[in-house]
Amino acid sequence: MREIGSDNLKAMLIAIAGRIADSRERLNRLDAALGDGDHGASISAAFEKTVAELARLPDPKPSEIWLTTARCLMNGMGGASGALFGTLFLKGVAPIQGKERLVKADFDELWAAGLAGVKARGKAEIGDKTMVDALQPAVLAFAANDNIAAAWPAAAEAASNGAESTRELIARQGRAKYLGERGIGHQDPGATTIALMFEALDSYWREMTNGKT
Amino acid sequence: MSARAHKLINQPQNIVSEMLDGFCAAYGDIARLTDEGLVVRATPKAPGKVALVIGCGSGHEPAMIGWIGEGLFDVNIAGEIFTAPGPERILQGIKAADRGAGVLVCVSHHAGDLLNAELALELCELEGIANVDMVVLYDDISSAPKGREPERRGTAGLFFVWKMLGAFCEGDGDLAAAKALAEKVRDNTRSLAMSLSSCASPVTGQVMFEMPEDEMEIGMGLHGEMGMGRQKALSAGETIDLMLPPILEDLPFQAGDEVLVLLNNSGSLTLMELFILYKRVAEKLAEAGIRVYRSWIGPYATTQEMAGFALSLCRVDDELKALWDARANGAYMKQL
Repeated sequence: MREIGSDNLKAMLIAIAGRIADSRERLNRLDAALGDGDHGASISAAFEKTVAELARLPDPKPSEIWLTTARCLMNGMGGASGALFGTLFLKGVAPIQGKERLVKADFDELWAAGLAGVKARGKAEIGDKTMVDALQPAVLAFAANDNIAAAWPAAAEAASNGAESTRELIARQGRAKYLGERGIGHQDPGATTIALMFEALDSYWREMTNGKT
Repeated sequence: MSARAHKLINQPQNIVSEMLDGFCAAYGDIARLTDEGLVVRATPKAPGKVALVIGCGSGHEPAMIGWIGEGLFDVNIAGEIFTAPGPERILQGIKAADRGAGVLVCVSHHAGDLLNAELALELCELEGIANVDMVVLYDDISSAPKGREPERRGTAGLFFVWKMLGAFCEGDGDLAAAKALAEKVRDNTRSLAMSLSSCASPVTGQVMFEMPEDEMEIGMGLHGEMGMGRQKALSAGETIDLMLPPILEDLPFQAGDEVLVLLNNSGSLTLMELFILYKRVAEKLAEAGIRVYRSWIGPYATTQEMAGFALSLCRVDDELKALWDARANGAYMKQL
Protein backbone atom coordinates (compact mmCIF):
# COMPACT_ATOMS: atom_id res chain seq x y z
CA MET A 1 0.00 0.00 0.00
CA ARG A 2 1.88 3.03 -1.24
CA GLU A 3 -0.94 5.49 -1.86
CA ILE A 4 -3.46 6.76 0.62
CA GLY A 5 -6.93 7.88 -0.43
CA SER A 6 -9.59 9.86 1.34
CA ASP A 7 -11.20 6.81 2.93
CA ASN A 8 -7.90 5.93 4.57
CA LEU A 9 -7.37 9.51 5.71
CA LYS A 10 -10.81 9.62 7.29
CA ALA A 11 -10.12 6.33 9.01
CA MET A 12 -6.83 7.70 10.29
CA LEU A 13 -8.64 10.62 11.92
CA ILE A 14 -11.23 8.27 13.40
CA ALA A 15 -8.35 6.26 14.86
CA ILE A 16 -6.85 9.41 16.36
CA ALA A 17 -10.23 10.47 17.77
CA GLY A 18 -10.67 7.05 19.37
CA ARG A 19 -7.23 7.07 20.97
CA ILE A 20 -7.70 10.60 22.31
CA ALA A 21 -11.16 9.75 23.68
CA ASP A 22 -9.71 6.71 25.49
CA SER A 23 -7.04 8.98 27.01
CA ARG A 24 -9.38 11.80 28.00
CA GLU A 25 -9.01 11.39 31.77
CA ARG A 26 -5.26 10.93 31.57
CA LEU A 27 -4.90 14.14 29.55
CA ASN A 28 -7.16 16.01 32.00
CA ARG A 29 -4.96 14.86 34.88
CA LEU A 30 -1.76 15.92 33.11
CA ASP A 31 -3.31 19.29 32.34
CA ALA A 32 -4.50 19.72 35.93
CA ALA A 33 -0.85 19.70 37.04
CA LEU A 34 0.34 22.24 34.46
CA GLY A 35 -2.76 24.04 33.18
CA ASP A 36 -6.46 24.24 33.99
CA GLY A 37 -7.31 20.57 33.73
CA ASP A 38 -9.55 20.45 30.69
CA HIS A 39 -7.22 19.46 27.84
CA GLY A 40 -8.52 15.89 27.61
CA ALA A 41 -12.15 16.97 27.66
CA SER A 42 -11.73 19.73 25.11
CA ILE A 43 -9.55 17.91 22.58
CA SER A 44 -11.56 14.68 22.71
CA ALA A 45 -14.74 16.72 22.10
CA ALA A 46 -13.10 18.53 19.19
CA PHE A 47 -11.95 15.29 17.55
CA GLU A 48 -15.41 13.80 18.09
CA LYS A 49 -16.82 16.82 16.25
CA THR A 50 -14.21 16.33 13.52
CA VAL A 51 -15.32 12.74 12.95
CA ALA A 52 -18.96 13.84 12.78
CA GLU A 53 -18.15 16.62 10.29
CA LEU A 54 -16.07 14.27 8.13
CA ALA A 55 -18.97 11.83 8.00
CA ARG A 56 -21.08 14.62 6.50
CA LEU A 57 -18.65 15.27 3.62
CA PRO A 58 -19.85 13.16 0.67
CA ASP A 59 -16.67 12.69 -1.35
CA PRO A 60 -13.95 14.82 0.17
CA LYS A 61 -10.49 15.36 -1.23
CA PRO A 62 -7.56 14.85 1.17
CA SER A 63 -7.13 18.62 1.50
CA GLU A 64 -10.79 19.01 2.52
CA ILE A 65 -10.35 16.37 5.22
CA TRP A 66 -7.34 18.20 6.60
CA LEU A 67 -9.11 21.59 6.42
CA THR A 68 -12.23 20.27 8.14
CA THR A 69 -10.07 18.82 10.90
CA ALA A 70 -8.26 22.14 11.30
CA ARG A 71 -11.50 24.09 11.57
CA CYS A 72 -13.09 21.67 14.03
CA LEU A 73 -10.02 21.78 16.27
CA MET A 74 -9.62 25.58 16.14
CA ASN A 75 -13.25 26.44 16.65
CA GLY A 76 -14.29 23.43 18.70
CA MET A 77 -11.54 23.79 21.28
CA GLY A 78 -10.67 27.47 21.30
CA GLY A 79 -7.82 28.54 23.56
CA ALA A 80 -4.16 28.15 22.73
CA SER A 81 -4.52 24.40 22.17
CA GLY A 82 -7.25 24.90 19.60
CA ALA A 83 -5.17 27.44 17.71
CA LEU A 84 -2.04 25.26 17.76
CA PHE A 85 -3.59 21.86 17.00
CA GLY A 86 -5.71 23.61 14.37
CA THR A 87 -2.60 25.15 12.83
CA LEU A 88 -0.91 21.73 12.64
CA PHE A 89 -3.65 20.62 10.24
CA LEU A 90 -4.36 24.00 8.60
CA LYS A 91 -0.78 24.37 7.36
CA GLY A 92 -0.89 20.87 5.94
CA VAL A 93 -3.71 21.79 3.57
CA ALA A 94 -1.68 23.73 0.96
CA PRO A 95 0.86 20.94 0.24
CA ILE A 96 -1.92 18.47 -0.62
CA GLN A 97 -4.28 20.87 -2.38
CA GLY A 98 -5.81 19.29 -5.49
CA LYS A 99 -4.45 15.78 -4.83
CA GLU A 100 -6.73 12.75 -4.93
CA ARG A 101 -4.32 10.35 -3.27
CA LEU A 102 -1.30 10.92 -1.09
CA VAL A 103 2.12 9.27 -1.25
CA LYS A 104 4.89 9.27 1.34
CA ALA A 105 6.38 12.54 0.03
CA ASP A 106 3.02 14.28 0.50
CA PHE A 107 2.95 13.26 4.15
CA ASP A 108 6.53 14.49 4.54
CA GLU A 109 5.41 17.86 3.24
CA LEU A 110 2.20 18.16 5.19
CA TRP A 111 3.84 17.25 8.48
CA ALA A 112 6.76 19.59 7.82
CA ALA A 113 4.40 22.45 6.99
CA GLY A 114 2.30 21.71 10.07
CA LEU A 115 5.37 21.64 12.32
CA ALA A 116 6.67 24.92 10.89
CA GLY A 117 3.25 26.51 11.41
CA VAL A 118 2.96 25.35 15.01
CA LYS A 119 6.46 26.58 15.84
CA ALA A 120 5.86 29.95 14.22
CA ARG A 121 2.46 30.48 15.82
CA GLY A 122 3.43 29.27 19.28
CA LYS A 123 6.96 30.71 19.12
CA ALA A 124 8.10 27.44 20.66
CA GLU A 125 11.26 25.45 20.06
CA ILE A 126 12.45 22.04 21.19
CA GLY A 127 12.97 22.06 24.94
CA ASP A 128 10.22 24.56 25.76
CA LYS A 129 7.98 21.81 27.21
CA THR A 130 5.28 22.06 24.55
CA MET A 131 3.74 19.89 21.84
CA VAL A 132 6.78 20.74 19.69
CA ASP A 133 8.91 18.42 21.88
CA ALA A 134 6.90 15.47 20.54
CA LEU A 135 5.93 16.83 17.12
CA GLN A 136 9.34 17.81 15.81
CA PRO A 137 11.04 14.45 16.52
CA ALA A 138 8.02 12.64 15.06
CA VAL A 139 8.08 14.68 11.86
CA LEU A 140 11.84 14.26 11.46
CA ALA A 141 11.68 10.52 12.13
CA PHE A 142 8.84 10.14 9.65
CA ALA A 143 10.78 12.00 6.95
CA ALA A 144 13.98 10.07 7.66
CA ASN A 145 12.35 6.78 6.63
CA ASP A 146 11.78 6.38 2.89
CA ASN A 147 9.54 3.40 3.47
CA ILE A 148 6.17 4.57 4.75
CA ALA A 149 5.64 1.34 6.65
CA ALA A 150 8.78 2.04 8.65
CA ALA A 151 8.01 5.76 8.91
CA TRP A 152 4.84 5.43 11.05
CA PRO A 153 6.37 3.35 13.87
CA ALA A 154 9.51 5.50 13.83
CA ALA A 155 7.40 8.65 14.15
CA ALA A 156 5.29 7.12 16.93
CA GLU A 157 8.35 6.10 18.90
CA ALA A 158 10.00 9.50 18.46
CA ALA A 159 6.81 11.30 19.53
CA SER A 160 6.46 9.10 22.57
CA ASN A 161 10.07 9.66 23.63
CA GLY A 162 9.67 13.37 22.98
CA ALA A 163 6.53 13.54 25.13
CA GLU A 164 8.30 11.73 27.95
CA SER A 165 11.25 14.10 27.70
CA THR A 166 8.96 17.01 28.66
CA ARG A 167 8.66 15.59 32.17
CA GLU A 168 12.07 16.95 33.15
CA LEU A 169 11.74 20.29 31.37
CA ILE A 170 10.85 23.76 32.63
CA ALA A 171 8.11 25.27 30.49
CA ARG A 172 8.99 28.37 28.49
CA GLN A 173 5.66 28.86 26.70
CA GLY A 174 2.00 28.75 27.67
CA ARG A 175 0.61 29.14 31.15
CA ALA A 176 2.82 26.35 32.53
CA LYS A 177 5.81 28.67 32.24
CA TYR A 178 4.57 30.56 35.29
CA LEU A 179 5.07 27.37 37.32
CA GLY A 180 8.82 27.48 36.63
CA GLU A 181 10.59 24.65 38.42
CA ARG A 182 7.31 23.59 40.00
CA GLY A 183 6.38 22.07 36.63
CA ILE A 184 9.28 19.62 36.65
CA GLY A 185 8.09 16.02 36.97
CA HIS A 186 4.91 16.64 35.00
CA GLN A 187 4.60 15.56 31.38
CA ASP A 188 3.22 18.17 28.97
CA PRO A 189 -0.36 17.32 27.95
CA GLY A 190 0.02 18.82 24.44
CA ALA A 191 3.12 16.73 23.74
CA THR A 192 1.30 13.70 25.12
CA THR A 193 -1.59 14.30 22.73
CA ILE A 194 0.85 14.42 19.80
CA ALA A 195 2.34 11.11 20.94
CA LEU A 196 -1.14 9.58 21.17
CA MET A 197 -1.94 10.83 17.66
CA PHE A 198 1.14 9.23 16.13
CA GLU A 199 0.60 6.02 18.12
CA ALA A 200 -2.93 5.86 16.74
CA LEU A 201 -1.67 6.42 13.18
CA ASP A 202 0.94 3.71 13.63
CA SER A 203 -1.64 1.23 14.97
CA TYR A 204 -4.04 2.07 12.16
CA TRP A 205 -1.34 1.52 9.57
CA ARG A 206 -0.34 -1.85 11.08
CA GLU A 207 -3.94 -3.07 11.15
CA MET A 208 -4.68 -1.88 7.67
CA THR A 209 -1.62 -3.43 6.05
CA ASN A 210 -1.52 -6.44 8.34
CA GLY A 211 2.20 -6.01 8.55
CA LYS A 212 2.59 -5.98 4.76
CA THR A 213 3.82 -3.02 2.72
CA MET B 1 -9.25 28.54 52.56
CA SER B 2 -10.81 26.01 50.27
CA ALA B 3 -12.34 26.23 46.85
CA ARG B 4 -16.08 25.80 46.55
CA ALA B 5 -16.71 22.66 44.53
CA HIS B 6 -20.49 22.84 44.48
CA LYS B 7 -21.68 25.60 42.19
CA LEU B 8 -25.26 26.54 41.46
CA ILE B 9 -25.29 25.57 37.83
CA ASN B 10 -27.28 23.12 35.74
CA GLN B 11 -25.39 21.05 33.15
CA PRO B 12 -21.69 21.98 32.96
CA GLN B 13 -21.86 22.08 29.16
CA ASN B 14 -24.56 24.78 29.35
CA ILE B 15 -22.79 27.13 31.77
CA VAL B 16 -21.81 29.75 29.21
CA SER B 17 -25.03 29.79 27.20
CA GLU B 18 -27.27 29.88 30.28
CA MET B 19 -25.14 32.61 31.84
CA LEU B 20 -25.37 34.75 28.68
CA ASP B 21 -29.14 34.17 28.48
CA GLY B 22 -29.56 35.27 32.08
CA PHE B 23 -27.30 38.29 31.69
CA CYS B 24 -29.08 39.57 28.60
CA ALA B 25 -32.50 38.90 30.14
CA ALA B 26 -31.51 41.06 33.11
CA TYR B 27 -29.86 43.89 31.19
CA GLY B 28 -31.80 43.88 27.93
CA ASP B 29 -31.76 47.66 27.76
CA ILE B 30 -27.95 47.58 27.54
CA ALA B 31 -26.91 44.31 25.88
CA ARG B 32 -28.44 41.58 23.79
CA LEU B 33 -27.44 38.12 22.66
CA THR B 34 -27.33 37.48 18.91
CA ASP B 35 -28.24 34.20 17.23
CA GLU B 36 -24.52 33.55 16.90
CA GLY B 37 -24.08 33.81 20.67
CA LEU B 38 -22.37 37.21 20.59
CA VAL B 39 -23.09 39.79 23.28
CA VAL B 40 -23.67 43.11 21.51
CA ARG B 41 -24.98 46.54 22.47
CA ALA B 42 -28.77 46.78 22.60
CA THR B 43 -28.38 50.00 20.57
CA PRO B 44 -25.37 49.92 18.22
CA LYS B 45 -23.07 52.94 18.21
CA ALA B 46 -23.44 55.46 15.40
CA PRO B 47 -21.95 54.55 12.00
CA GLY B 48 -18.52 55.98 11.23
CA LYS B 49 -16.92 55.17 14.58
CA VAL B 50 -14.24 52.64 15.40
CA ALA B 51 -15.77 49.49 16.92
CA LEU B 52 -14.25 47.53 19.81
CA VAL B 53 -14.33 43.76 20.02
CA ILE B 54 -12.98 41.40 22.61
CA GLY B 55 -13.02 37.61 22.73
CA CYS B 56 -12.15 36.02 26.05
CA GLY B 57 -12.70 33.00 28.19
CA SER B 58 -15.73 32.97 30.47
CA GLY B 59 -15.61 32.55 34.22
CA HIS B 60 -14.35 36.09 34.94
CA GLU B 61 -17.73 37.81 35.20
CA PRO B 62 -18.61 40.61 35.05
CA ALA B 63 -15.67 40.75 32.58
CA MET B 64 -16.24 41.18 29.75
CA ILE B 65 -20.03 40.97 29.22
CA GLY B 66 -20.51 43.70 31.80
CA TRP B 67 -18.41 46.02 29.62
CA ILE B 68 -20.72 45.98 26.61
CA GLY B 69 -22.54 49.25 26.25
CA GLU B 70 -22.30 52.92 25.47
CA GLY B 71 -18.82 54.33 26.01
CA LEU B 72 -17.40 50.81 26.28
CA PHE B 73 -17.21 47.72 24.03
CA ASP B 74 -19.38 46.92 21.05
CA VAL B 75 -19.11 43.12 20.97
CA ASN B 76 -17.93 40.41 23.34
CA ILE B 77 -17.30 36.90 22.11
CA ALA B 78 -17.50 34.73 25.21
CA GLY B 79 -15.48 31.53 25.06
CA GLU B 80 -15.81 28.46 27.23
CA ILE B 81 -14.63 28.68 30.86
CA PHE B 82 -11.10 30.15 30.89
CA THR B 83 -10.80 29.36 27.16
CA ALA B 84 -10.52 31.95 24.41
CA PRO B 85 -13.03 31.54 21.58
CA GLY B 86 -11.82 30.15 18.25
CA PRO B 87 -10.99 32.33 15.25
CA GLU B 88 -14.23 31.89 13.33
CA ARG B 89 -16.25 33.13 16.29
CA ILE B 90 -13.95 36.15 16.63
CA LEU B 91 -14.46 36.80 12.91
CA GLN B 92 -18.24 36.75 13.48
CA GLY B 93 -17.72 39.28 16.25
CA ILE B 94 -15.66 41.55 14.00
CA LYS B 95 -18.35 41.47 11.31
CA ALA B 96 -21.10 42.17 13.84
CA ALA B 97 -19.22 45.12 15.34
CA ASP B 98 -18.17 46.94 12.17
CA ARG B 99 -19.69 50.43 11.88
CA GLY B 100 -17.71 51.37 8.80
CA ALA B 101 -14.68 52.94 10.49
CA GLY B 102 -12.66 49.87 11.33
CA VAL B 103 -12.60 47.34 14.14
CA LEU B 104 -10.04 47.04 16.91
CA VAL B 105 -9.73 43.56 18.41
CA CYS B 106 -8.50 43.85 22.00
CA VAL B 107 -6.40 41.04 23.39
CA SER B 108 -5.79 40.52 27.09
CA HIS B 109 -2.40 38.88 26.77
CA HIS B 110 -2.63 35.10 27.21
CA ALA B 111 -1.50 32.56 24.65
CA GLY B 112 -5.03 31.46 23.70
CA ASP B 113 -6.42 34.97 23.34
CA LEU B 114 -3.46 36.10 21.25
CA LEU B 115 -3.23 33.09 18.92
CA ASN B 116 -6.95 33.04 18.16
CA ALA B 117 -7.02 36.79 17.50
CA GLU B 118 -4.06 36.37 15.12
CA LEU B 119 -5.88 33.57 13.31
CA ALA B 120 -9.05 35.70 13.13
CA LEU B 121 -7.10 38.54 11.52
CA GLU B 122 -5.70 36.07 8.98
CA LEU B 123 -9.28 35.01 8.20
CA CYS B 124 -10.20 38.70 7.71
CA GLU B 125 -7.39 38.99 5.20
CA LEU B 126 -8.61 35.88 3.33
CA GLU B 127 -12.13 37.32 3.21
CA GLY B 128 -10.91 40.74 2.11
CA ILE B 129 -12.09 42.48 5.28
CA ALA B 130 -9.81 45.49 5.62
CA ASN B 131 -9.39 48.04 8.38
CA VAL B 132 -9.17 45.53 11.21
CA ASP B 133 -6.33 45.60 13.71
CA MET B 134 -5.53 44.17 17.10
CA VAL B 135 -3.90 45.52 20.21
CA VAL B 136 -2.22 43.29 22.79
CA LEU B 137 -2.66 44.45 26.38
CA TYR B 138 -0.81 43.48 29.55
CA ASP B 139 -0.32 44.87 33.04
CA ASP B 140 0.79 42.11 35.47
CA ILE B 141 4.29 42.92 36.72
CA SER B 142 4.76 39.45 38.24
CA SER B 143 4.60 37.60 34.94
CA ALA B 144 7.81 38.95 33.33
CA PRO B 145 10.54 41.31 34.52
CA LYS B 146 10.82 44.98 33.64
CA GLY B 147 12.20 45.41 30.13
CA ARG B 148 10.18 42.40 28.91
CA GLU B 149 6.76 44.00 29.33
CA PRO B 150 5.26 42.48 26.15
CA GLU B 151 5.60 39.03 27.75
CA ARG B 152 3.40 40.05 30.66
CA ARG B 153 -0.14 38.81 31.21
CA GLY B 154 -3.28 40.84 30.92
CA THR B 155 -5.08 41.06 34.26
CA ALA B 156 -7.47 43.27 36.19
CA GLY B 157 -5.69 46.55 35.42
CA LEU B 158 -6.87 46.40 31.81
CA PHE B 159 -10.01 47.84 33.40
CA PHE B 160 -8.41 51.25 32.75
CA VAL B 161 -7.80 50.49 29.07
CA TRP B 162 -11.35 49.23 28.53
CA LYS B 163 -12.91 52.35 30.04
CA MET B 164 -10.74 54.96 28.35
CA LEU B 165 -10.51 53.21 24.99
CA GLY B 166 -14.29 52.80 25.02
CA ALA B 167 -14.72 56.52 25.61
CA PHE B 168 -12.19 57.33 22.89
CA CYS B 169 -14.08 55.22 20.34
CA GLU B 170 -17.27 57.23 20.89
CA GLY B 171 -15.35 60.11 19.32
CA ASP B 172 -14.05 60.67 15.82
CA GLY B 173 -10.55 59.18 16.19
CA ASP B 174 -9.57 56.58 13.60
CA LEU B 175 -8.44 52.99 14.08
CA ALA B 176 -4.73 53.83 14.35
CA ALA B 177 -5.47 56.52 16.93
CA ALA B 178 -7.62 54.10 18.94
CA LYS B 179 -4.83 51.55 18.99
CA ALA B 180 -2.32 54.21 20.04
CA LEU B 181 -4.62 55.31 22.87
CA ALA B 182 -4.99 51.72 24.10
CA GLU B 183 -1.21 51.37 24.10
CA LYS B 184 -0.81 54.65 25.96
CA VAL B 185 -3.13 53.53 28.76
CA ARG B 186 -1.48 50.09 28.84
CA ASP B 187 1.98 51.62 29.10
CA ASN B 188 0.88 53.69 32.10
CA THR B 189 -0.79 50.78 33.92
CA ARG B 190 0.73 48.29 36.34
CA SER B 191 -0.92 45.55 38.43
CA LEU B 192 -0.06 42.93 40.98
CA ALA B 193 -2.46 40.34 42.38
CA MET B 194 -2.47 38.01 45.34
CA SER B 195 -4.61 35.14 46.53
CA LEU B 196 -5.34 33.32 49.75
CA SER B 197 -7.22 30.47 48.13
CA SER B 198 -7.66 28.42 45.03
CA CYS B 199 -10.92 28.07 43.14
CA ALA B 200 -12.77 25.19 41.57
CA SER B 201 -13.33 24.87 37.84
CA PRO B 202 -17.08 25.08 37.31
CA VAL B 203 -16.72 22.56 34.48
CA THR B 204 -14.83 19.78 36.21
CA GLY B 205 -15.49 20.68 39.87
CA GLN B 206 -11.77 20.17 40.43
CA VAL B 207 -9.68 22.59 42.43
CA MET B 208 -7.49 24.58 40.02
CA PHE B 209 -4.43 24.37 42.26
CA GLU B 210 -3.57 23.50 45.84
CA MET B 211 -3.22 26.26 48.42
CA PRO B 212 -2.44 25.55 52.09
CA GLU B 213 -4.70 27.25 54.69
CA ASP B 214 -2.14 29.66 56.12
CA GLU B 215 -0.35 30.72 52.95
CA MET B 216 -0.82 33.25 50.19
CA GLU B 217 0.58 33.67 46.69
CA ILE B 218 1.67 37.04 45.35
CA GLY B 219 1.45 37.51 41.61
CA MET B 220 -1.45 35.19 40.87
CA GLY B 221 -2.78 35.33 37.30
CA LEU B 222 -6.45 35.59 36.35
CA HIS B 223 -6.68 31.83 35.89
CA GLY B 224 -4.68 30.80 38.94
CA GLU B 225 -1.38 30.99 37.07
CA MET B 226 1.51 30.97 39.47
CA GLY B 227 3.20 34.21 40.42
CA MET B 228 6.23 35.13 42.47
CA GLY B 229 5.80 32.37 45.01
CA ARG B 230 4.15 31.29 48.21
CA GLN B 231 4.58 32.75 51.61
CA LYS B 232 2.88 32.86 54.96
CA ALA B 233 -0.38 34.81 54.89
CA LEU B 234 0.07 38.36 56.16
CA SER B 235 -2.21 41.09 57.52
CA ALA B 236 -3.90 43.59 55.18
CA GLY B 237 -1.39 46.34 55.91
CA GLU B 238 1.61 44.04 55.54
CA THR B 239 0.23 42.70 52.27
CA ILE B 240 -0.08 46.19 50.78
CA ASP B 241 3.36 47.12 52.10
CA LEU B 242 4.69 44.13 50.19
CA MET B 243 2.73 44.67 46.97
CA LEU B 244 2.68 48.42 46.42
CA PRO B 245 6.44 49.16 46.25
CA PRO B 246 7.17 46.84 43.30
CA ILE B 247 4.20 48.35 41.42
CA LEU B 248 5.47 51.89 42.06
CA GLU B 249 9.04 51.00 41.09
CA ASP B 250 8.06 49.24 37.90
CA LEU B 251 6.57 52.13 35.91
CA PRO B 252 7.89 54.05 37.93
CA PHE B 253 5.10 56.07 39.56
CA GLN B 254 6.66 59.16 41.11
CA ALA B 255 5.86 62.06 43.40
CA GLY B 256 3.62 64.49 41.55
CA ASP B 257 1.97 61.79 39.42
CA GLU B 258 -1.80 61.48 39.32
CA VAL B 259 -3.22 57.97 39.29
CA LEU B 260 -6.38 55.94 39.05
CA VAL B 261 -6.50 53.08 41.54
CA LEU B 262 -8.36 49.80 41.22
CA LEU B 263 -8.70 47.23 43.98
CA ASN B 264 -10.22 44.33 42.10
CA ASN B 265 -11.88 41.56 44.06
CA SER B 266 -10.93 38.19 42.55
CA GLY B 267 -14.07 36.60 43.94
CA SER B 268 -14.72 36.05 47.62
CA LEU B 269 -12.95 38.75 49.59
CA THR B 270 -15.37 40.95 51.52
CA LEU B 271 -15.78 44.64 50.79
CA MET B 272 -14.77 45.14 54.41
CA GLU B 273 -11.37 43.61 53.65
CA LEU B 274 -11.02 45.65 50.46
CA PHE B 275 -11.75 48.92 52.26
CA ILE B 276 -9.16 48.04 54.91
CA LEU B 277 -6.65 47.27 52.16
CA TYR B 278 -7.51 50.51 50.39
CA LYS B 279 -6.90 52.55 53.55
CA ARG B 280 -3.28 51.43 53.49
CA VAL B 281 -2.99 52.05 49.73
CA ALA B 282 -4.24 55.61 50.17
CA GLU B 283 -1.84 56.25 53.06
CA LYS B 284 1.15 54.87 51.18
CA LEU B 285 0.38 56.81 48.00
CA ALA B 286 0.01 60.01 50.01
CA GLU B 287 3.40 59.32 51.63
CA ALA B 288 4.91 58.88 48.16
CA GLY B 289 3.42 62.17 46.97
CA ILE B 290 1.21 60.45 44.40
CA ARG B 291 -2.26 61.94 43.99
CA VAL B 292 -5.26 59.66 43.53
CA TYR B 293 -7.60 61.03 40.86
CA ARG B 294 -10.29 58.32 41.18
CA SER B 295 -10.56 54.93 42.89
CA TRP B 296 -12.64 51.87 42.16
CA ILE B 297 -13.16 48.94 44.51
CA GLY B 298 -15.11 45.84 43.56
CA PRO B 299 -15.28 42.65 41.52
CA TYR B 300 -14.54 43.68 37.92
CA ALA B 301 -12.52 40.69 36.66
CA THR B 302 -13.00 37.63 38.82
CA THR B 303 -11.59 34.13 39.01
CA GLN B 304 -14.58 32.26 40.35
CA GLU B 305 -14.53 32.18 44.18
CA MET B 306 -10.81 32.82 44.53
CA ALA B 307 -10.12 34.81 47.70
CA GLY B 308 -7.74 37.48 46.53
CA PHE B 309 -7.40 40.86 44.91
CA ALA B 310 -5.41 42.78 42.36
CA LEU B 311 -4.02 46.21 42.98
CA SER B 312 -3.76 48.26 39.78
CA LEU B 313 -2.53 51.80 39.18
CA CYS B 314 -2.78 53.89 36.04
CA ARG B 315 -0.95 57.19 35.62
CA VAL B 316 -3.19 59.76 33.98
CA ASP B 317 -2.79 63.09 32.22
CA ASP B 318 -5.52 65.52 31.18
CA GLU B 319 -6.45 63.50 28.08
CA LEU B 320 -6.87 60.30 30.09
CA LYS B 321 -8.73 62.03 32.91
CA ALA B 322 -11.28 63.37 30.44
CA LEU B 323 -11.70 59.90 28.92
CA TRP B 324 -12.04 58.38 32.38
CA ASP B 325 -14.82 60.81 33.29
CA ALA B 326 -16.68 60.39 29.99
CA ARG B 327 -20.06 58.70 29.99
CA ALA B 328 -20.18 54.91 30.12
CA ASN B 329 -23.17 52.65 30.50
CA GLY B 330 -22.36 48.99 30.71
CA ALA B 331 -24.16 46.64 33.06
CA TYR B 332 -21.13 46.56 35.39
CA MET B 333 -19.27 49.76 34.50
CA LYS B 334 -21.20 52.95 34.81
CA GLN B 335 -20.04 56.53 34.61
CA LEU B 336 -23.23 58.47 34.21
